[in-house]
Amino acid sequence: MKNEPLAWYIAGPLIGLIVPLLLILKEKQFGISSSYRFFISGLTKKPGYFNYKREQDAWQFYFVIGLILTGVMYGVNGYDLNALKTTVVGFGGGDVIHYVSTVGFYDLSNWAIFLFGGILIGFGSRYSNGCTAGHCIMGMSQFSKTSLIATIGFFIGGLITTYFIIPFLR
Amino acid sequence: MKKLFNIASFILLGIYFAIVLTEAQAISWYRIQEMFYFKSFHMYGLLGSAIATGALSLWIIKKFNIQSVKHNPIVVKDKPFEWKANFVGGIIFGLGWGLTGACSAPLFISLGINWKIGILLLIGALLGTYLYGILKDKLPH
Repeated sequence: MKNEPLAWYIAGPLIGLIVPLLLILKEKQFGISSSYRFFISGLTKKPGYFNYKREQDAWQFYFVIGLILTGVMYGVNGYDLNALKTTVVGFGGGDVIHYVSTVGFYDLSNWAIFLFGGILIGFGSRYSNGCTAGHCIMGMSQFSKTSLIATIGFFIGGLITTYFIIPFLR
Repeated sequence: MKKLFNIASFILLGIYFAIVLTEAQAISWYRIQEMFYFKSFHMYGLLGSAIATGALSLWIIKKFNIQSVKHNPIVVKDKPFEWKANFVGGIIFGLGWGLTGACSAPLFISLGINWKIGILLLIGALLGTYLYGILKDKLPH
């Protein structure tokens, strides 16, 4: 498996192109985390947050199907989420990095991290009304104040976990 | 048939997006850690050039009054400005992003690659969403 990523100056613009592609082809503003609300509203309408015109978010559900299918394609071709463990280590410090460099972060022994982290992702993205897709990419492209504040929050949160939480987990 | 085509087009756009993210390794916890440790320009270049491309596209759309393929004017709405929610929610999301290395798109891509890990992330995200639904009215916005 090759460990070199597609160069940022190629991949970045290709990522940004999703904004005009969705607008011109489908008249949609890019976002993904509304799909969580869409999922729950398919199961229950209570509390009232889930009783809404969910059809407006149905397209994100289809988009997400595409994401999952792509993951499956990579998966059956042997894509290893831990492939970078020996190349991208050596940053930071502490036992966690040592642990990660031997077992790898993507290991079921870290199940609590995935579950609890997932809760933070779901809660936080709905509370801030967007995630990296809707705020960082779409909103920042619009120079939206809302999205700038959210994006600053994303980085503050990420820095807190990186320096003050992850190093103490193991 | 028209509905099927509509659904397929979103799935294809999802596939496009996921391939780029995966090839750029933006779905990897290791790259996210590297980013938060400021050890590589990769993720910053990725996000920066993505935003620049998005912004330039929006400018071109506006400047030349580009219409959608259905010949409708393209309207870009701003999300409501609720700074407390945007900021505090953003920090909470960021905590999860740093912890798992996954934001929403990588979460779903990981689910496809390794369903055992992905399902934990997804169940968590849905629980978190439900929790927000319960607490919404009690939280500052």
